[in-house]
Amino acid sequence: MFTFDLFWNALVAGALLGGFYAAVSLGLSITFGQLDIVNIAHPAFVILGAYIAYMGNEWWGFDPILTGLVAAPVFYAIGVGVYRFYYEAFERRDDEALRGLAFFFGVMFIVEVVLIMAYGVDFRSVQAPYIGGNWEIGTIGIPTRMFVPCMVSIAMFAAVYTYLARTFTGRAILAVSQDRLALELMAADPVRVKQVGFGLGIGTAAIAGALLIIIIPIEPSVGRLYIGQVFAIVVLGGLGSISGTLVAALILGVAESLVSTFYGPSWAPAVAFSVLLIALAVRPQGLFGR
Amino acid sequence: MAIELTVEGVEAGYGTVRVLHGVSLNVREGETVALLGTNGNGKSTLLKCIMGIVRPESGRIDVEIDGEKIDLVGLAPREVVERGIGLVPEGRRLFPRLTVEENLTLGAFRGAARALLSDNLAFCFEAFPVLAQRRRQLAGSMSGGEQQMLAIARALMSSPRLLLVDEPSVGLAPILVSRMIAKIKELKDEHGLTVLMAEQNFNQAIKIADRGYVIVHGEMALAGESADALRENELVKQYYLGTDL
Repeated sequence: MFTFDLFWNALVAGALLGGFYAAVSLGLSITFGQLDIVNIAHPAFVILGAYIAYMGNEWWGFDPILTGLVAAPVFYAIGVGVYRFYYEAFERRDDEALRGLAFFFGVMFIVEVVLIMAYGVDFRSVQAPYIGGNWEIGTIGIPTRMFVPCMVSIAMFAAVYTYLARTFTGRAILAVSQDRLALELMAADPVRVKQVGFGLGIGTAAIAGALLIIIIPIEPSVGRLYIGQVFAIVVLGGLGSISGTLVAALILGVAESLVSTFYGPSWAPAVAFSVLLIALAVRPQGLFGR
Repeated sequence: MAIELTVEGVEAGYGTVRVLHGVSLNVREGETVALLGTNGNGKSTLLKCIMGIVRPESGRIDVEIDGEKIDLVGLAPREVVERGIGLVPEGRRLFPRLTVEENLTLGAFRGAARALLSDNLAFCFEAFPVLAQRRRQLAGSMSGGEQQMLAIARALMSSPRLLLVDEPSVGLAPILVSRMIAKIKELKDEHGLTVLMAEQNFNQAIKIADRGYVIVHGEMALAGESADALRENELVKQYYLGTDL
């Protein structure tokens, strides 16, 4: 049954959901979209970030977003280490295509199993003043637990976008997968550039994880549910386009929300792949692909 | 303030194939030196050795910058660029999915060039007005001539003391080759650039070269001390000008 009240509510809820999806996809947009590294472990790092936000909240009562911000530099360092290993073990020997994929698959399971051993498979959630609040604008409800993550996500996008567009290392990250030797002829070290880029991508997972656990309770294996969505978003936005990722995430969030409101929630997971298939048929380079 | 490049007895190749059999040359401050030879004689390989892209099996490559002598053999390409030597590579090697301006800005990645970014950008846009008009266009969507200009401008963004140019004429219409050569001469005359240019188009290269070398089968067949000496040389006539001996 269609009413405009339902429609506007679904639209707003979808945009907020899309804003959150953007946060989860941003890291992959850098590591896969810019650096050409098929990091399927990205959602696992997001879950790890969510558990760290949970620990900070459970043990010391820290705000999850604050914990995410503090954890981000640590995740950056983890990302640098993971890339370093990936480079020495696979990329340097041109083995990255299949073995690299298996490597990230393994990383994903290791993260998941460690979390299961530490916390079991029960769902965990956090406490924060903005969880449970609701604003009413006319007949449209805006839950603060969706609104706050969406705003944090957009701020994170703005920061990363500015970094990539305005700094020398940031611009080198945009160039490194296009021509490695040419980048060396600009006096840049491609390995170091990719290392910074990968660290940055994993760093965003700390914050995205905090946003995830604000929105919904989690358990260690839910990361796998997001693999399809985040890859769909990054490809739909156009590989190599950070702003395309944000737009694609918003489109997917709105589409999922509309479908789930008017056709039932069981259809929502099909939306990501339908949108992706249509996009690939009509515009294979993605919405903002160069 | 002077730069001098000296290459001595360099032997190099790829795998078991040896391309250079002991070549020597030198380039002094303010000169434009042409490295002449037809395809497959080792011009590009020699430039790659200087840049650290190909490691010579033997021989010396030194550069003397303001009295300080630096051994270039064994340095990575980025370390050679950091020391003030820029390369306009064969095939241009632009970043096709970045804009003209982003390509140029990356050219200033070198530590010594970062502070000069806006000055150098203004200089490149003045020298190549078409790049200013197309600053927001993706490099990969431009014509061959425009891409070659961008490749030269990008190398200039690093404020090189010595510029190596590999085959600027390849893939360009004859009219564009003349313009490109004229532009390199203008840059050299007005800004005191030191240039080593590998080129197979003898007639164009000789227009701007102060002197030149002819490389045949990986050996220096001739070192001409002036453009005229090269033009009058029998070997050159035989190889390039189609004149029977």
